[in-house]
Amino acid sequence: MTATKVPRNFRLLEELERGEHGVGQGSISYGLADGDDVTLSKWNGTILGPINTVFENRIYTVQLYCGDKYPDDPPAVRFVSKINLTCVDKHTGRVDPTKFHLLKSWDRNQRIENILLALRREMAAPYNRKLPQPAEGTFF
Amino acid sequence: MSSLSGLPRRIIKETEKLLQDPVPGISAVPHEDNARYFNVIIQGPDSSPYEGGTFKLELFLPDDYPMAPPKVRFLTKIFHPNIDRLGRICLDILKDKWSPALQIRTVLLSIQALLSAPNPDDPLNNEAADLWKKDERRAIETAREYIRLYASE
Repeated sequence: MTATKVPRNFRLLEELERGEHGVGQGSISYGLADGDDVTLSKWNGTILGPINTVFENRIYTVQLYCGDKYPDDPPAVRFVSKINLTCVDKHTGRVDPTKFHLLKSWDRNQRIENILLALRREMAAPYNRKLPQPAEGTFF
Repeated sequence: MSSLSGLPRRIIKETEKLLQDPVPGISAVPHEDNARYFNVIIQGPDSSPYEGGTFKLELFLPDDYPMAPPKVRFLTKIFHPNIDRLGRICLDILKDKWSPALQIRTVLLSIQALLSAPNPDDPLNNEAADLWKKDERRAIETAREYIRLYASE
């Protein structure tokens, strides 16, 4: 049995439509960085910091770059908002794929939405939730 | 042609017909590694605003085709009231008017017809639709300018 492989562009168009309708009860959002980008490569995401963590009430901006091999290969992900998180490079904001399980064990059924939700769960993880954080509104 | 294994007979038949007996002004060729994914080229129809343009599109037959319609998108930028900035197409047979009796061929013919008959009353691209209603001559000039910039070969 060979499953039908949805090509990159149609997969990303599906994701775009889903993003436009809103997901995760407003805890995350995402869309194309540039509404004219027919290559569907650059995306912006936002994550609302989870309650009862140091991230609470802050909104974090994330950039995702979906290359030609997406979704076979994961997107490159980086925080634009400054954040102190174990899987994020302190200088560049890049999410380190070796330290973030979803990128590490990526498969083509994963989506932008899952990445943002998993990053939000990371914020709430015991080893992250109380880390000292840079001032709000600062950027990498 | 291992990519053809497991492919429904209907899709194989349609593909053969498209390759052997193509529609004038339209070509559709499946990707080597995905027989449900087609590279499409549509020539702008004569005496339409899109005459002389060569438009690239992509077409995908989802799992539930032909119960569900093909997915189609323009890859070439185009100024058209029923095609948005990402190349998505507003066409009833791609949505609620789809019937399994329709085919890839009929879909591509309908898109070609849409180029001959832009419909600003059912817009997907509001900027193009507004201009079409306000100043059709200037709208057509803009469509031609897009062709010069993006759709000339």
